[in-house]
Amino acid sequence: MALTDPLSDIELVQEVRNGKRQAYTELMRRYQKRVYWVARRIVGNHDDADDVVQETFVKAYLALGDFRGEAGFFTWVYRIAVNLALNAVRKRQVMNYLRESELLSNLLPSPEDPSAGVEAEELDSAVRRAIDILPEKQKAVFVLRYYEELSYEEIAVILKTSVGGLKANYFHALRKVQDYLRNEIQAGQTHDRRGRGAVAPG
Amino acid sequence: MKFRQDKHTIGEDEERSLRDDVRRLAGTERPPQDPPDAYWQNLLIRSNARIDAASSGRALSISWALRVALPGVIAIVSFLIGLHYYVPEVPKEDFSVAAVVLSLPAATIDSLLVDPSPVDPSLSVAELGVDLFDLSRDQIVDYLLTAGNASAAVEGLTEGERSELLAALGTNRQ
Repeated sequence: MALTDPLSDIELVQEVRNGKRQAYTELMRRYQKRVYWVARRIVGNHDDADDVVQETFVKAYLALGDFRGEAGFFTWVYRIAVNLALNAVRKRQVMNYLRESELLSNLLPSPEDPSAGVEAEELDSAVRRAIDILPEKQKAVFVLRYYEELSYEEIAVILKTSVGGLKANYFHALRKVQDYLRNEIQAGQTHDRRGRGAVAPG
Repeated sequence: MKFRQDKHTIGEDEERSLRDDVRRLAGTERPPQDPPDAYWQNLLIRSNARIDAASSGRALSISWALRVALPGVIAIVSFLIGLHYYVPEVPKEDFSVAAVVLSLPAATIDSLLVDPSPVDPSLSVAELGVDLFDLSRDQIVDYLLTAGNASAAVEGLTEGERSELLAALGTNRQ
């Protein structure tokens, strides 16, 4: 008995359109990890990434009628995920601003609060901090190219921009991250030397 | 002084070299852990639940629109159209002479001089075809004399009539 080939994304989309909800679960199963990691690298924490993944699949499901199949399903889903992730970053920036300006200091948990859901490992990641300081577009290009290793053509479809512009953005993003990491390492080494000097017997 | 914007685009070799350097610099860092398998299964369930909630919300709104909003709008529009085109016509009331006269104040009624003989109170104003208030001079004089207001009646006479009246009175005296 020959094993049946798994359905392609387009076939699954067609199944969903025909009312087979299980086909959409299969699509989610295929892409949820990739969507999660794109989101997590953009937003920088698990909780927001988790929310972005769910919201991405809800939006994609509700808009499935608009999906024409010109780009791949995953490209289309990536576009939704990147936009939602960038929105989440913007929202967090506004919340941080409000928190800093003490407008909501009594209502919002402080970043040090464990219930804020920020994982310690992420706070300690220099790459994470380097990505955080990148402008939105560079952040998205960096994540999609550096981590996901997508082609410029795919990223151009996802971000709806030109390949030339993407290359320039990626170059600047790499340089900024490189500079940031060098500075971090240099600062760490200086700190270590001072630390050793302080404890050394005089 | 304006500077040209940097339009540097990255070549493949340059990109690879830069990327490798970033990876080397970041190499000492521990990459974030992949969530456990149970998380992915749970994520599927939660995503499906959220889709159910979102799509049932949409279905509810469509259902609500079909059951409540749409009939409501149709009812309101129909009512407005009906109001515009099918307002019942109020027949023009044809008041009778009696009704018109009785609606006047008593003092005004006294001042009217109408010869009741040709006017049947059951006739309407339109049927009468005359202006009730367009009275002849003779009718007014007769009314004033009947009401005992002779001076007012005399005031309304012309010079010729007055002379004629004086002459008649003189004849009577004689």
